[in-house]
Amino acid sequence: MDLKVNDAYTNMAVDEAIAKARGEEKAPDTLRFYMWKPSAVTLGYFQSVEDEVNLKALHRFGFNLNRRISGGGAVLNSERGEITYSVILKEDNPHVSTDPIESYHYLCQGIIEALAVLDIKADFKPINDVVVAGKKISGNAQIRRYGAVLHHGTLLVDFNAREMFGVLKISKEKLSDKMIQQAEDRVTTIRRLLERRIGFPEVRDAMETGYRKAFDAELFKSDLTPYEEDLVKQLRERYASRNWIYRR
Amino acid sequence: MKRFEYKVPGGKLLRVKLEVEAGKITFLQLTGDFFMQPETDLEELEAQLISSPIDLAAIESAIHEFFSKKKTVITGASPSDFAYVINHAVKS
Repeated sequence: MDLKVNDAYTNMAVDEAIAKARGEEKAPDTLRFYMWKPSAVTLGYFQSVEDEVNLKALHRFGFNLNRRISGGGAVLNSERGEITYSVILKEDNPHVSTDPIESYHYLCQGIIEALAVLDIKADFKPINDVVVAGKKISGNAQIRRYGAVLHHGTLLVDFNAREMFGVLKISKEKLSDKMIQQAEDRVTTIRRLLERRIGFPEVRDAMETGYRKAFDAELFKSDLTPYEEDLVKQLRERYASRNWIYRR
Repeated sequence: MKRFEYKVPGGKLLRVKLEVEAGKITFLQLTGDFFMQPETDLEELEAQLISSPIDLAAIESAIHEFFSKKKTVITGASPSDFAYVINHAVKS
């Protein structure tokens, strides 16, 4: 599914709708590219708003607050800084290991290949990251539900430190463990590595090529089915609800 | 409110908030950037530990028993790590 821009709640609803449809054999294996407007802070399922988000800064920037069904860490899904992607397969797909880390490794290969297309050498870093020279460029999360595996992640194209560290609270414990002074040193972006203002369409094309190579797959352009569209309408309501967002 | 946070070496960040009254846990919330499937197991575990007496050995074995009975898949943390943060928060 080609690159589309939506708000956070629709974006999450679409991922879950495809997973449900895939599990029920009402949709094929799916690769989806998407972006966000407005930008949003997206929490992992088990994170608490209070611990992770600077709400004053979030409101000042006009960003949405959003929660995934998958675990993992909080990210800033910036409308100008990244392309998000999801891969939805049947849970019993023979390529998808039941071992979580192997499964991340396999499903991150498309991003590693995409970066190779752009002449960037990237590696998988367990548990769920893709790094370039040790710096994170892509974070990923997976959930198995409805008989499907949903793998979604973000690829950093550009980076606004003032926005990211304005809205996200970075744990001192986490920093001390990695012995990193500056949180900013932990991440890198495609534009920083290429030293040019590469456009989103070029990154998107590299991602398509990357996934085609990594999975040796044929890709067909398509859109949500009417069944998935109906699911999105129902699911979006839950994702946008205060009960869901502030559940922890 | 008692709090403790712990970065699992090579794993994820675990946080706990809890309240103790009259020797019992009255509120417990475990949060962090770990992965757990099925994800509802965390809420069930919290509910089960609420009103537990503060007996740290018993809490640790209850956590191990809960996750092994449920066959919960946890990535980035272990049952012992959950026990560890509760233990430290109680003692704080």
